[in-house]
Amino acid sequence: MRRVVITGLGPVSAIGIGAAAYGEALRRGASGVSPIAGFDSSGFPYYMAGEVHDFRPEDMVRRLSVEEWGRTSLFAASAARLAVADAGIDEEHLAASRAGSSMGTTGGESQVLERLTADSLAAGFHALDSGLVRQVSSARLSQAVNRELGLTGEAVTLATACSASNYALGYAYDLIRTGEADYMLAGGADSVHRWSHAGFYRLGALTEKACSPFDKDRSGIITGEGGAAMFLESLESAQSRGARIHAEVLGYGLNCDAGHMVAPDRDSIAACMRLAHRNAGIRAEDVDYICAHGTGTPTNDHVEASAVVDVFGKDAPPISSTKSMLGHAMGAASGLGAIASVLGITGSFLPPTINFNTADPDMPEIDPVPNHARPADIRIAQVNGFAFGGNNAIVILGRLS
Amino acid sequence: MTTAPERTAPAAGSASGVLAITGFGVLSGAGIGPEPLASAVARPAQPADVSGMFEEPLPRDDAYALVDFRVRDHLGRKGTSFFDRSTSLGLVACQAALADTDLRVDDGNRARIGIALGTTAGSAKSTSDYSRDTFTQERPYLVNPLLFPNAVMNCAAGQAGIWFDLKGPNATVAGGPLAMLNVLRYSRNLINCGYGDALLAGAVEEFSPHSAWALHYAQADDGGTVPCGEGAAVFVIESAEAVRAAGRRPDAEVLATEVGVFEPPGSGTSFTDGLALCLRRALERSGVSASDVTTVVGAANGMTRLDEAEAAAVRAVLGDDVPRLRVKEATGEAFSASGAFQLAALLARHRAEPARDGELSVIVSRSRDGAAGAAVVRGWSRADGDDG
Repeated sequence: MRRVVITGLGPVSAIGIGAAAYGEALRRGASGVSPIAGFDSSGFPYYMAGEVHDFRPEDMVRRLSVEEWGRTSLFAASAARLAVADAGIDEEHLAASRAGSSMGTTGGESQVLERLTADSLAAGFHALDSGLVRQVSSARLSQAVNRELGLTGEAVTLATACSASNYALGYAYDLIRTGEADYMLAGGADSVHRWSHAGFYRLGALTEKACSPFDKDRSGIITGEGGAAMFLESLESAQSRGARIHAEVLGYGLNCDAGHMVAPDRDSIAACMRLAHRNAGIRAEDVDYICAHGTGTPTNDHVEASAVVDVFGKDAPPISSTKSMLGHAMGAASGLGAIASVLGITGSFLPPTINFNTADPDMPEIDPVPNHARPADIRIAQVNGFAFGGNNAIVILGRLS
Repeated sequence: MTTAPERTAPAAGSASGVLAITGFGVLSGAGIGPEPLASAVARPAQPADVSGMFEEPLPRDDAYALVDFRVRDHLGRKGTSFFDRSTSLGLVACQAALADTDLRVDDGNRARIGIALGTTAGSAKSTSDYSRDTFTQERPYLVNPLLFPNAVMNCAAGQAGIWFDLKGPNATVAGGPLAMLNVLRYSRNLINCGYGDALLAGAVEEFSPHSAWALHYAQADDGGTVPCGEGAAVFVIESAEAVRAAGRRPDAEVLATEVGVFEPPGSGTSFTDGLALCLRRALERSGVSASDVTTVVGAANGMTRLDEAEAAAVRAVLGDDVPRLRVKEATGEAFSASGAFQLAALLARHRAEPARDGELSVIVSRSRDGAAGAAVVRGWSRADGDDG
């Protein structure tokens, strides 16, 4: 089995586009949450989201024709472009190699479907734009990455909701580990839409202004969006081309609560952490930082924190939530979390949980890195991802030393 | 070197990577179960009258749809009232697959059994209905919270995990026409790398006004008149080595699945060359030659550019003489479920025709967006005698 390393980072987020801007914003504890511009939010009591207002795919993609692809596919392709540039690999060599992509998502191109729904209400099904209809398939997220980069290998879109980026990263890691592929782009993408904003609101999961994970008074999520892509290759490949190695993928764990569609399960999440540690060949005490799923809902954070204590004991490592800064970028969330963790590993800092005011007496063991990034030596980071359907995925990343 | 202690990452469970199918369940426009599918592929029937199924207008009145399908007839009333059609079809196919296999699920192995279901965009109707409510209700947030999970793409797989109490990896793969081949590759990796011992792997697509209009617009661009289809097929997938070591007999072995993305069909020969490459790789990986292939299960659906590209690739690798199994004439164009129907139809025919035991077949698929793939499958009947 080959060792697998990350040599390129491509975040497209509400707090910054590209590794440098994103890393600087994480250190600063920036907030990407602002009034919704992506759809008409009038009539909604809450109207904030973590949107990528600065997203101009035409500045990033070169092969794709922007009008032929949905916003989410363009997030994926743009993130992949950034990751490849960061990896510094020759593009012709890449396109001629055994290379592909693995992208996760929750909603796919459902903002396109939402527009078609509005059009069908206004003019009828018989008067839709066939070019838009064609954009609905979620398979296009990973295909956009392949087409943009000219990759002829496997393209897979994993639509396993809010842990999907971790699924995608894990699969890409395996393909390189086993020799099935030589280079992979892995991550996820999602867009903000009305239907999920409404759904989370009605579920009582949405908060009004600011997401405050692990805070005693946390009251819910803010929806978000973006794209995350990482460039993966074997250690041997990275070394032979003299690439800058950001981090190593050590392993991952997957399991399913098989209990409830929306309520997370403490024991099952703890079991997933143990699986991830075993698969990565580490012990719990080796973990220096946990990038939390950390949605900011009262239940989710409590379940996650409890499972962390079950696995790590009272000396749990710092655990922060990038969702406090980004909103919940859904299928891109754990990918953006993984990139934040990699930047923490390479830059020796812990990304903070912003909007934090009051420690929760029900989770005294938890250190959420409140409000300010903190210098720290992170050798091993754990990236948590949990999803509707009880679909848990946890990735373990390590510093190459 | 990392600071991690000695690596104990999952080892390869099966050096060959060959997958065994030890049971399957299928619901298609041809009917429920393998027998009606095998019959319909041999002698295609007319599509059903679907004009009474929905309030919304449809582009045409016929489809290969399961018009009278009601989930409570299969799973009971309790717990099923909020399932959408995709989830319902998926769960019934999973139930049929579990009933069809000799794999026994119990508390000792349920953490090692997972689910991988293919889709195009989940239940487009559920997601769209949710959007519609935000536009038409008195206030935009007056949507039904109980229906929210249906609007998310991993609903069918998640509900299946809950219904059958399977705690292994639970994945949803959005591949559209390539979904089943994507699922086979994803499954192969999970089993080969030791993340699980068995998977319910398949694909689902529901018939709805949304899918009917999606096909209508695609046909306006690319030609063809095949009606819409729907349904699900789910296969119990295990390591072939492990199955045989346990003295069990597979229904089929998936020797290889190869996929790629190329320029979309129609612009030069790039797509045909790409599909041919996938086909050659799949044969090479399977350790078989083109002349060993007795059947090609194609994806042809009347869309001229795509069909011609597919036919040219098959001809280039396998020649002109290999018989075709034309599944869409019996099941309609069912998007992500189509690939699952191709595999199910092949296995249904094996089950009905013991004389074909051990025959080698190739499944090919392609998409308008340039994805292509091929799988090599060897199948058997369940007639008495040693099949392997």
